[in-house]
Amino acid sequence: MKYLEKSIKEINDLLKKGTIKPIDLVEEAFERIEADKDLNAYITLNKEEALKQAKELETKEVNNLLFGIPIAIKDNILTKDLRTTAASHILDNFIPIYDATVVEKIKAHNMIIVGKTNMDEFAMGSSSRTSYFGAPKNPWNNNKISGGSSGGSATTIAARHVPFALGSDTGGSIRQPASYTGIVGMKPTYGRVSRYGVIAFASSLDQLGPMTQNVLNNALLLNVISGHDPRDMTSSHREVEDYTRLIGKDIKGKKIAVPKFLMSDIVDSEIIKTIEGVIEVLKENGATVDYIDMKYLDNAVTLYQIIAMGEASSNLARFDGIRYGLSHKDPKSHEDLYLETRREGFGKEVKRRIMVGSYLLSGDNAKTYYNKALSIRDDMAKEFDKVFKKYDYVIGPTTTTTAYNLDDPMDDPSKSFMDDVLVIPVNMAGLPGLGIPVGFDKNHMPIGMHIIGNKFEEAEMYRLGSFIEDKLNLDLNPKGGE
Amino acid sequence: MKNKLTKEEVLHVADLARIKVTEEEIEKYQVELKKLLDDVEKVNDVVGYDDEILIAPWDHNADLRNDSDTRMLEAKEILKNAPNHTGNYITVPVVIGESEGA
Amino acid sequence: MSKYIPTIGIEVHVELKTNTKIFSPSINGYGQMANSLTNEIDLGYPGTLPTLNEEVINLGIKAATILNCKIRKQMFFDRKNYFYPDNPKNYQITQNRTPIGYDGYVEIDDNGVKKKIYIEEMHIEEDTCKSTHRKDKTLLDFNRAGVPLIEIVTKPCMTTSTEAKLYLEKLKELLFYADVSDCKMEEGSMRADANVSIRKNESDPFGTKAEIKNIGSISNVGLSIEKEIERQAKLYDEGKTFKEQTRRFDSKLNDTVLMRVKETGNDYRYFPEPDIPFVVITDEMIENVKKTIPMLPDERRETYKKLGVSDINTTKLVQNRSLSDYFNELLAEKTNFQIASNLLLGDISAYLNMHEKLIADTTLTKERFLDLIKLMEDKTLTSKNLKDILDDVLESKKSITEIMKDKGIENITDDKEIREVIKKIITENPDSVNDYKNGHDRAIKFLMGQVMKETKGKVNPQVAMEILTDELH
Repeated sequence: MKYLEKSIKEINDLLKKGTIKPIDLVEEAFERIEADKDLNAYITLNKEEALKQAKELETKEVNNLLFGIPIAIKDNILTKDLRTTAASHILDNFIPIYDATVVEKIKAHNMIIVGKTNMDEFAMGSSSRTSYFGAPKNPWNNNKISGGSSGGSATTIAARHVPFALGSDTGGSIRQPASYTGIVGMKPTYGRVSRYGVIAFASSLDQLGPMTQNVLNNALLLNVISGHDPRDMTSSHREVEDYTRLIGKDIKGKKIAVPKFLMSDIVDSEIIKTIEGVIEVLKENGATVDYIDMKYLDNAVTLYQIIAMGEASSNLARFDGIRYGLSHKDPKSHEDLYLETRREGFGKEVKRRIMVGSYLLSGDNAKTYYNKALSIRDDMAKEFDKVFKKYDYVIGPTTTTTAYNLDDPMDDPSKSFMDDVLVIPVNMAGLPGLGIPVGFDKNHMPIGMHIIGNKFEEAEMYRLGSFIEDKLNLDLNPKGGE
Repeated sequence: MKNKLTKEEVLHVADLARIKVTEEEIEKYQVELKKLLDDVEKVNDVVGYDDEILIAPWDHNADLRNDSDTRMLEAKEILKNAPNHTGNYITVPVVIGESEGA
Repeated sequence: MSKYIPTIGIEVHVELKTNTKIFSPSINGYGQMANSLTNEIDLGYPGTLPTLNEEVINLGIKAATILNCKIRKQMFFDRKNYFYPDNPKNYQITQNRTPIGYDGYVEIDDNGVKKKIYIEEMHIEEDTCKSTHRKDKTLLDFNRAGVPLIEIVTKPCMTTSTEAKLYLEKLKELLFYADVSDCKMEEGSMRADANVSIRKNESDPFGTKAEIKNIGSISNVGLSIEKEIERQAKLYDEGKTFKEQTRRFDSKLNDTVLMRVKETGNDYRYFPEPDIPFVVITDEMIENVKKTIPMLPDERRETYKKLGVSDINTTKLVQNRSLSDYFNELLAEKTNFQIASNLLLGDISAYLNMHEKLIADTTLTKERFLDLIKLMEDKTLTSKNLKDILDDVLESKKSITEIMKDKGIENITDDKEIREVIKKIITENPDSVNDYKNGHDRAIKFLMGQVMKETKGKVNPQVAMEILTDELH
């Protein structure tokens, strides 16, 4: 059974013809997942329900391209009646009473949810090692991280378990693991995808996006999950276009900017070389590429630390042991209930960030840090506006290194932020960012490129992404395309 | 610049965050939290920006919800995940005092 | 006592009269089964987001307008972070930096002296859930969680408990009349906190303040302010000081009781709410809201007086909003407004109270009421007659004259006809006429009795008496 290796169009045809049934796809997906149990890609599997749903679909008409296709969902996205933990002990028994809007959309398209993927606890981290359930492993080298926070989704896609996964990206959490695992990951424009039902980390930065093996699939899933949601006031009214519409089109005359900061010595030379190689290809094919100076890019991590930790301290205040989740037994007082529940329930990284975030908002600090960060953030967004007046794309590497070892030390609290130094500015400005694989390092670990587009220009980004994908024609199956 | 927070400073932020910390943890946090606070201190080195703030990259102003549409859940759904409940009430297993807020 | 000048500021929370909650589409209701008016948003479930209720903004604009506040055209919300079991998200969505209304005032009338009570700001926020304390645990009911509130904060501009009470009465009247809130203090839909400090001279800085929280009635606000002034004065007299503190009024002790001393001031870690984009209030929205503001109490009182309604009736009418609204429908008509007010406040009110009805629930249309007033005014209908037919007037759709006919009330209103009858009676009773002329008052009563007998009681006694007296002279 190798149906899941086929293109979505081919699978769809087979389903339509009745050659295969959704249950064949689901069974194949679980075979693949179970064979790769060691990768620890999932926190919760939805096998029974998925098989049941696949059976039920047999009586239904194959009414869309993604009908009956298995999908993995990051575990910070609420799925009704299916455990959702955000990889935290504090929610390890939490059964949601409602579906996230994206999950409703996925269900409405009759896609089949195979399980909830592993991640950093509450999406706080860059290696998925802060998960209460242990870190997922990189399919290219099981001693390496898959990145984070959407490490489980990246793992399951890279390992070819399922064609589709959802991730969330607050400061690189889709694109960075995509880069480490050689897959395609899109963080759409802020407001493109509803956040309703996504466990908030930093509300002004969070956005959901597709993680897939190729650009076309990525666009197909974005078609499904995009759109205005009356339950999320920050979701955009922009009409949803067909995000596949520019795939395969040429890039002649496109103007591309490369901010010098993104190619500076903070990035491994191997990665720089690979990106430079891609730039040559782009030039050869009629695009113009300029190296430019951009202000504030080097401040992004600092702003991110202030804003993300500040918002997180407030967003995670609700986990108090009263209405849901872990609850400390026999507390002496309600204060004791808070203190003990949160001590037991949260992991180290989360605690650190909540504590620092609380501090940054307290008393005069709100002025000294938080307001300042919001001011600089505004200028940073304006700086991007300026660049996009002249250019169609901003590109650079996604990460400064390739995936590092799972057992690398975790004692530097700044490390997880610095891993995302190149991709954080996009979240600050609310722009879309697409990560695509563009090569391998000397250890055959994937190298990723980051394409930044103007707001709501996802279709244009897929044009460039698919163009590069096509030109490079890399073998992206870690199992060597058995 | 000192390279760690005082014990009291750690206890203060732990209290703000309502997270109990052990003696052993305090020592670690003295260093770790200090490192993060040093990181964010860099915000004060940035110059040349204006006063306008960006709260979130919203692409439109607020839409307002129609007051006549309603959507509720049954109490039994609401109680499903509550660690402690009595009848229709969610309970806090100790008696609490007067409210701080509102 | 009198050697200190008190400074009083009042903060009022009112629950807004909306169908649904401020940030969720569950019903805003009181007195329902616990946790029956909630959804995942009210519970602060992970992943939930607020959606802002349009009616809350409208009522905010309305309240700001009637409280003479400036209205902010672009605003955002803030999160106020504090841990408490009644606070589902452990942050409250409120407006700290950009309150919807600011720089307003309410005018009070303190024994004929008018004074403006200045409003610093008014903002929109969500209510907490309701907690009930049992001996071993606390019960949480989230029906109240997310009920829309407006908090109205005065400047510290009052100096007596009377002013504070008058302010609250005025505020309550205004918000109730404009349909912003039920303003029921007993149900908690209006709650008041008082900030009290005292100082020796006008030129001194403000003294240390005590905040008295959640006082249950306007009279208790007055009482607690007086008690607090007394308490502070006594401390100062004894050369003592005290720390800024929060107190509550204990209605059993009839005194304020210490809740807690404010250590360093609360650290609410306010920051702008990222989940709610800018709310823009357009001139058009303001105009549309203004159209829905009914005539307010002060204007009603002025209007009624101008139309000849007595002071006492004016006051009583305005105290009863449904009657006053009904009365207002007559304003464009030519009628006797004093009689109209007498009728509404007299027999009709008695009927409504007895039957627990509103005037709108009766059959008394404007047209029928105008007829009734006219019949009373030209004395076709007597007060006594009215009592006999009142149930029909308020319960049937027949015209008033038809009802009178059915009850056999056919009063002779034609003066000539009455005069004929009276002339006849005078001719037939010369002795009584003589008695009258000789000063026997009782004789006229006899003659009146004869008139009533002759007409079978169908003349208006007052009218008959007037004519009889006239004929006897």
